Amino acid sequence: MAKITFKTNAGDVVVENASGNLMEIATYESVEGIDADCGGVCSCATCMVRVPPEWREKLNPPEESEADLLDIEEAGEGVRLSCQIEVTEAMDGMVVEIPQRGES
Amino acid sequence: MAGKCPFDGFGEARAKGPVLPARLDGDTIPMILRNKDVRRAARDWKTYSSDAPFRVPIPSEEHLRSIRQLPIETDPPEHGAWRALIEPFFNQPKEPDYAARIEELIDTSLDEALAVDSLEIVWEFALPLQSRALTHLLKMPESEADLWISWGTHVFDKDDENQRGSVLDIYLEEAVEKAAREPGEDIFSVLLQSKFQGRPLTKEEVIGFGNLAFAGGRDTVIASISALLGYLARHPDALEWLREDEKRIVPAVEEIFRTTSPITHIGRVCPVDTNVHGVEVPADGRVSLSWASANFDENVFDHPEEVHLDRKPNPHVAFGSGHHSCIGAPHARLILRTLARRLCAKVARMEILEESPLTEERPDYERRISYSLLKLRFSART
Repeated sequence: MAKITFKTNAGDVVVENASGNLMEIATYESVEGIDADCGGVCSCATCMVRVPPEWREKLNPPEESEADLLDIEEAGEGVRLSCQIEVTEAMDGMVVEIPQRGES
Repeated sequence: MAGKCPFDGFGEARAKGPVLPARLDGDTIPMILRNKDVRRAARDWKTYSSDAPFRVPIPSEEHLRSIRQLPIETDPPEHGAWRALIEPFFNQPKEPDYAARIEELIDTSLDEALAVDSLEIVWEFALPLQSRALTHLLKMPESEADLWISWGTHVFDKDDENQRGSVLDIYLEEAVEKAAREPGEDIFSVLLQSKFQGRPLTKEEVIGFGNLAFAGGRDTVIASISALLGYLARHPDALEWLREDEKRIVPAVEEIFRTTSPITHIGRVCPVDTNVHGVEVPADGRVSLSWASANFDENVFDHPEEVHLDRKPNPHVAFGSGHHSCIGAPHARLILRTLARRLCAKVARMEILEESPLTEERPDYERRISYSLLKLRFSART
């Protein structure tokens, strides 16, 4: 269980006692900017979150498929696919931002 | 959950190199084959442009239409502004009441399938379901689907060179005229009242949106529905496995999209002379991004030729990639996921009575997409 805050354009979404997959938590809470179209199979890159530097080492490093997708999408420093993050107690208090999408 | 899959038409070509110079459309067009290369090219609009009316599809549709398809045949930053105009329609599948309406449609379709001794899936199940679902997406009366269904298989036949002024063009012109006379909440009415860069849209631009909504979302959804039903009919154990835990449905449907890859590829045009992984493309020459090849890339997928309904991660590009990724994907995913879930609830098993593959044969590749005919018998759960 952990307290996770999503910072969005529409304001902060605070989830107390979060557990499980970060993308599933975000979609359950209807966090703006987390579309998660593919449902968590690492295909669509629509569930990105930016993790502040002090929290990055608390997360498992990205697997190859996630790292490739973030690299190709030029997602930027600290950006992760939330579908690949399982919340642990070490993340209690973490605040993540929803990055702006690139040019479209 | 593994089964052999005959859908990869590019395995040999990928073994030889990153690009297949393919004879297509009276031209030689380099097809980019590898997953990461395809994804990178899809983002790189300055090198690989979509600002090429009629030439984004391969074969080109210069002989089929005279109106630019929107938003697909544009580049950033205009593309984003065009796309934003229709996003409210295409984001509806994320709303619970919309999902409930699609579920009702699917339940009706399945009840009809269970009530008959046998049913041809492609044209008697998938086409009506796709057409009726599209009325909801475009906010049109469901009865309008009767006409779309009656167009049958030939309305978008790209092999017929005399199709300019086709039934679709005539229909869209009339639909836009009607929306101008009697505005409602449908997509044509809303677009006629929308503005792009401060000016109203022309009727041609509204037709350009309509053309893509019909052409892009028809065969693709039909092929995917047919592929899902065909797979679960052939593998009754897979249907049981899904029934045991409905959380398995989302990744399973993604694997059906990967292995079906309804759109083999899409074109881009190089504005200047460009070296595409070793192949020279002259200015104004075309390049293909092969979604179908990228979805079987051995560097990204373990045993890509096998169907693994529990495949995760599954970085497929069946809906494209980057800013042009399919705007209808949430709608297509909702239909397939709901269909799988309601099959689990209502259908004990399906038996294949007759089948013919839907294939794409070109001089330099051949691939199976889905079914051109699939006759099934449905048995209800008791």
